[in-house]
Amino acid sequence: MLKLVNLVKAYRTEEVETTALNGVNIHVQTGEFVAVMGPSGCGKSSLLNIVGMLDTPTSGEYWFNGEEVSRYGERKLADIRKKNIGFIFQSFNLIDELTVFENVELALLYHDIPARERKARVKEALEKVKISHREGHLPQQLSGGQQQRVAIARAVVARPRMLLADEPTGNLDSANGDEVMHMLTGLNAEGTTIVMVTHSMPHAQYARRIINLFDGQVVAENLRAA
Amino acid sequence: MFRSYLTVALRNLVKHKLYSAINIIGLAVGLAACILILLFVRHELTYDRFFSKADRIAQVTIYATLPGRSTDHASAAMLPFAAAFKQDHPEVEAAARLVRQRSIVQQGDVQFFEDMLLADTDFLRIFDFPFVAGTRETALDDPSGVVLTETLARKYFQSTDVLGRTLSVDNNKSVHVTGVMKDLPGNTQFKIDILLPVNSVSGRNLQAQEQNWGAICCWTYVQLKPGTDLAALNAGLDAWMKKTAPTFNSPTGPIVLGDIFRPELRPLTSVHTQPLLSDMRPGTSLAEIYTFSAVALLVLAIASINFMNLATARATQRAREVSVRKVVGASRGQIVMQFIGESVLLTLVGLVLALALVELVLPGYAAFLGKPLTFDYSDPSLLGLLLALAVLVGVAGGAYPAFFLSGFNPARVLKGASSGVGGGSGRLRTALVVVQFAISIGLMVATAVVHGQLLFAQTKDLGYDRENLLVLDGIGRREIRDRQGAFLDALRADPHVAAAAETDLVPGDGNENNTNVRLPGGDPSQMIILRNDSVGFDYVRTMGLRLVAGRDFDRNRGGDRMVTPDWLRNGEQRPAGSDRVTLTGAALLNVAGVQRLGFATAEAAIGQVFEAGGGDGTSLRLTIVGVVDDFHYRSIHEEIAPSYFFVSDAPSDSAVVRIKAGQVREALADIDRLWREMYPDMPIQRQFLDERLQDLYAREQKTSQMFAAFSGLAIIIACLGLFGLASFTAARRTKEIGLRKVLGAGVPDIVRLLVWQFSKPVLLANLIAWPLAWWGLEHWLRSFAYRIDLDPVLFVGAGAAALGIAWLTVGLHAARVAQARPVTALRYE
Repeated sequence: MLKLVNLVKAYRTEEVETTALNGVNIHVQTGEFVAVMGPSGCGKSSLLNIVGMLDTPTSGEYWFNGEEVSRYGERKLADIRKKNIGFIFQSFNLIDELTVFENVELALLYHDIPARERKARVKEALEKVKISHREGHLPQQLSGGQQQRVAIARAVVARPRMLLADEPTGNLDSANGDEVMHMLTGLNAEGTTIVMVTHSMPHAQYARRIINLFDGQVVAENLRAA
Repeated sequence: MFRSYLTVALRNLVKHKLYSAINIIGLAVGLAACILILLFVRHELTYDRFFSKADRIAQVTIYATLPGRSTDHASAAMLPFAAAFKQDHPEVEAAARLVRQRSIVQQGDVQFFEDMLLADTDFLRIFDFPFVAGTRETALDDPSGVVLTETLARKYFQSTDVLGRTLSVDNNKSVHVTGVMKDLPGNTQFKIDILLPVNSVSGRNLQAQEQNWGAICCWTYVQLKPGTDLAALNAGLDAWMKKTAPTFNSPTGPIVLGDIFRPELRPLTSVHTQPLLSDMRPGTSLAEIYTFSAVALLVLAIASINFMNLATARATQRAREVSVRKVVGASRGQIVMQFIGESVLLTLVGLVLALALVELVLPGYAAFLGKPLTFDYSDPSLLGLLLALAVLVGVAGGAYPAFFLSGFNPARVLKGASSGVGGGSGRLRTALVVVQFAISIGLMVATAVVHGQLLFAQTKDLGYDRENLLVLDGIGRREIRDRQGAFLDALRADPHVAAAAETDLVPGDGNENNTNVRLPGGDPSQMIILRNDSVGFDYVRTMGLRLVAGRDFDRNRGGDRMVTPDWLRNGEQRPAGSDRVTLTGAALLNVAGVQRLGFATAEAAIGQVFEAGGGDGTSLRLTIVGVVDDFHYRSIHEEIAPSYFFVSDAPSDSAVVRIKAGQVREALADIDRLWREMYPDMPIQRQFLDERLQDLYAREQKTSQMFAAFSGLAIIIACLGLFGLASFTAARRTKEIGLRKVLGAGVPDIVRLLVWQFSKPVLLANLIAWPLAWWGLEHWLRSFAYRIDLDPVLFVGAGAAALGIAWLTVGLHAARVAQARPVTALRYE
């Protein structure tokens, strides 16, 4: 599914250059569930941003589905992203002005899908995360767990091949966090590749492989017994 | 997708009420101002285009350069010009003249003074005024015919079906109606109530002037063959004039008219936009039209800047939406389109509101301008223009925020912080605020200077006392003039009248008499042309002129009054075979006249004798008895011409009457009563001089008021934007403000902090506005011969006013924010 070769990401601010990722090599197979762990500032988010094509590496290669995409322009990346990748964030990132239904539908609006099919797929996604009964509500009217379920629905409604989750349980209590993890596991079982950044060891245990980052480098990879 | 955009746009509008209101109101007011100016400009540019031959009709204008004076450009010509010009130029198909004549028109018991126009028969063949009765082309063929407008027909006959009905004009000469024309539309230079043929039985006797190339006294129009090159025709006019206009041999030497006058044809359609002396109706110069168009655009620019600023200021709040849209696959182009679409939508809402505002204001605005302005909703070109304008404003206002917002890095925004928003936009916002306030300050300064110059014109020491000065017109008419002296004597005896004197010319009128003068031993080939006025003995006292040397005219000195032969006094031609006469009398010079005649001082002129050419071959020998200070007899756009005054026994056309202060009502009652006793069949024509002078500055007055109104709007819109910006800044800095308060800052400290932040751009704006305003206004003031100096106080004042308004706007808001409990602020994030 994706292969990172000698990936480097450096940030430059006026005089200081910070290296967030320093020669990272990672290979993720289609259908895998990978958790990325590490202390704050180890480069987890930088990694996820590059994998999610929201950012480009300073050097190194990024192979996605057999395509080297590290030098692609924004327009091309947006196109690949649109077709292949779904995102889940720690802070949910729902749009306040849109209802639950509309927030989820948003992910289909840029895909040339007819209204009727859109509606069906949004309903299906909402049902999958068990939030259909609140489809007319605005995000502020929901609890954190409910909001994250909507965000998951939005992430999967376009049927991406890969799901990127950035501390999806970071803002949730343990009960809600567990529920979210169950949903992700379910999605992975249906064939979706998942890369998740997390601080929580218990939640990382849901993944089949854990990659530990430290100071921008992969320091350990643990394959969990299935 | 569109629906999602619309949903978000509308919900955003509703959710952020302050932001929406500021934007929509600002845009609406800006658009309304723009529409109002647009309607005015459109109207001004349509003048006289409704005539079917408008594109090949031209008006004759004359540049007159009298020796020693600056050039005048007048929209009138000499009586013989039309026929001579047509004869020598095959490209001229027709030519027609208009001569003004003020007459008493009577029908039964109804009697009024009317301004009539004597017109050549071709006038109505060149200009296809719509007629409601009679045949236009031949309506002026009958010397006893008259053409009325509908309004005049109703005034005298209560009907427009009046062909063949008769009216009596001056002295009971009767004419019959040969045509009734529709009332003239608002967009024409012509001011016509009654048309008479030039050879009318009740017309002025123009015979004596028909070959006079020295008197500019009629409007002249020519109809050219299709395809005539006006520029080429104009190029040859100077030489033609030199060849055609005769040299006038006055008793004091030759006057080479071809050197003084230079004709120029101007297209009919540009008459209105090129105001000249002696226009029938005041025009609007292209410079004014451009200025107002620029003001409209500036006001709109300020409103658009509000939009840009508020949209980018709010960017943080929309950053997440943009990022999410990007993450789920929106391209940058789609985001740009979304925001531009939102901005256009907002502008369209503003446009609807603007149209409502226009509806509300238009009647008053049209009345103020004295123009029949209407908003025609069925006019597709107007609606199209407005729609285009709204879209343009929407795109212009929305483009920057759209590109700014669409450029967010979603990775950083979605991480939870608002750190994806760069600080660069803050600088641009400040720059835009600077631009807004520079425009506002510039308009404020302009308003103050235009108003100041106007006030200067209206209150300037004109060299005479304009208060309580009544002008009586038309007293040179045949029916009145025989008893003119007796009437004025009776006035002088009235206890409420301080003084009264005859005069041929009244300050503020465009007319003037000029003649060639010569000092003994002077070179006859050198033209010295002085303006002159035949006045009464008490003229200096009545007008309140200042005598700077010598003495005033004196009734008791027989030699002061010029005695004229009967024929001259009656306005007739010199009897054939009679001798050339030399008339003697006393003269007063003005200071400019002293200089023009080459005297070193006013005293040096006293006792000197000069010769002047009188009318009809008479020659005047005048002894200078005194010198009066210069006074303004025309608008202060014009320089004061060298002049002399003399007293003659010939009746004058007008009189000036000085009324004792505080006794106006009693004096007017007496004057009216005296008039009725003496001339029971004649209406009186009287007007206070200061009212007449107002008309001289009517155009500037309107300009000044329009400027004031629109610059006021500009400032309001700019402040609206500033208020919005301040509120967003305050919201953005809530945490900072909370922290400062925790650390011990008081409310005044916080207010000072915010107020200072918004003072900087306003102060900077002054630096931009001042030089630009200085340059533009200096240019404008140069069109006045007598003008105010640009006062730095005005500039500083405008800057201070802008700062004050900005402080008020921001300060109130800042005080509210500063008073909030810090804990609320700190809990915010």
